[in-house]
Amino acid sequence: MSLPARAATLVVAFLAVVAGVIFVAFKFIGAQPSVENYTSYAKAGQVNITLMTTPQTTVTTKPDWVSYFIKNPATGNFDHTTYFEVPADTRVNVTILGYDGCTPLRNPLWGQVAGTIGGTEDVSYFNGKTYSPQAPVKTFDSWANCSVQHTFAIPGLGINVPVASPTTVQENNALCGTSPCTAANQSANAPHAVVTFSFMTPKTGGTYRWQCFVPCGGGYLDGNGGPMGTPGYMMGEMEVQA
Amino acid sequence: MAAESPTAAGSERGRRDRVWLPVAWVVLSIIGCLLVALVLGPHLPPGAQSTSAASQQYDYRVLATIATPVVVGVLLYLVWAMIFWRQRPGDETDAAPLHGNTKIQTTWIIGTSVIVLFLAAFGTYELIVPAGAGAGEGPQPIWKPAGTTTSSLTSWTPGGSNILQVQVIGQQWAWTYRYPQFGGFETTQLMLPVGQPVQFNVTSLDVIHSFWAYTLGVKADANPGLNNVAYTTPYHTGYFQVRCDELCGIWHGSMYDTGEVLSVPAFLKWTQTSKVQLAAVTKILPPYALTYDPTTIPAGKINQALGLTSAGGGYYNPADPEQP
Repeated sequence: MSLPARAATLVVAFLAVVAGVIFVAFKFIGAQPSVENYTSYAKAGQVNITLMTTPQTTVTTKPDWVSYFIKNPATGNFDHTTYFEVPADTRVNVTILGYDGCTPLRNPLWGQVAGTIGGTEDVSYFNGKTYSPQAPVKTFDSWANCSVQHTFAIPGLGINVPVASPTTVQENNALCGTSPCTAANQSANAPHAVVTFSFMTPKTGGTYRWQCFVPCGGGYLDGNGGPMGTPGYMMGEMEVQA
Repeated sequence: MAAESPTAAGSERGRRDRVWLPVAWVVLSIIGCLLVALVLGPHLPPGAQSTSAASQQYDYRVLATIATPVVVGVLLYLVWAMIFWRQRPGDETDAAPLHGNTKIQTTWIIGTSVIVLFLAAFGTYELIVPAGAGAGEGPQPIWKPAGTTTSSLTSWTPGGSNILQVQVIGQQWAWTYRYPQFGGFETTQLMLPVGQPVQFNVTSLDVIHSFWAYTLGVKADANPGLNNVAYTTPYHTGYFQVRCDELCGIWHGSMYDTGEVLSVPAFLKWTQTSKVQLAAVTKILPPYALTYDPTTIPAGKINQALGLTSAGGGYYNPADPEQP
């Protein structure tokens, strides 16, 4: 092989390796779920956000992983992501549709609501047929009662919200089987809890990570791998736009 | 003008190297040591916010001051060689052959031995005297703050011999703190009283973390199923940072918060307020213990009916389809 041919081969091989590394970095390592942008939907200093927890993620290649979904403000569909964007200095009214079953908290401290406006969350239970009246709750005892499925916590803002779970054995054995749990999937009427609460975003912009404090990564060390350690499942980020 | 004889020039160079090089080293070392000890020293990390931090800063001052003559010697020798021993234009002669120097070798061995032995003794002393120097001493600490005891886990009085107990609990990915002497409330805030010895009981609910209150000079690994004890006494009021110093998962980098050293009255007021505010959740916490085992909890009837006899998470359940 001539010298120019060898040089050209070397350059091509080098570029192929670089391209491969860049592809892997962006495709797998740097991949991030989509961001639901709620900034333009704020009115009179408030914005409404709806999240959903599901006992599985049948829309991904990890169907046995629990997951959060977020409602797309434009389409109304629940997207498989845990990243959302809200304006600064705004009251965020959150609704969480909790379709998963209960798990005792590893640390009962996370059974107490913290950082919300009023220091409480409102909970209504749907048993498959009817909704119970909405009632404010301050503390859940997940060890004595089957009362918590996950939490929504933003440690940087001192926010911790236990997500109530269906309350009976029968309901916990009849959970939603297809995610997201919507009418389109014939699973919206599965037993679930409706949790609502509000909090204020900071006056300045920034990125705040949020997570679930129930180690719900079944099969992983201490339950904190899998969905607990993968963006888009049980942890994500809230981007506050100034 | 008569040319300088080679012998006279060599003698002059020899005197310069044998006399002025050591003199320059001694003078520069004295200046350097004074600058390091008196000017740089008070600004060395981790500061002086507590007994352990001040102790560590003192150690760094001593080490840096001892190291200064060595650093000065190496740099001076380098500069001296570049200025005086460089090859002159047209000089093709070889340098003088080396045959070793017993005096220099003996001095070097004795000098470095003395420095190393001194540092070993100094380091051991400095680890013992300030009650473990703020490091985790394990479940049965050997070195404790002078004049303190753990006579009561249900009460605490400022200025008494009963040391303040603060349990530090690591979990992915946050720190929580429990105060057994104030009703056993648990909180995400770390508050300490100024001038009072503190005993940190550090443990974890899941993987290994490391409690690092940087400006307090306290660092202790948080191991599941183990109590790791560290001591300090805050000197000044103000804020301090707490970080996890053991890679513990994807949000390890976000596992930090800010603690505060308060005046004693402000601390007592905070404990009373927290005790009331957290009363509801304190009632459902497990009894205070130096370690927790989340795999065995007294779960209620519905949990048991569902087969949930332990807290969330497990240890490689072989029945699970997903394995790490």
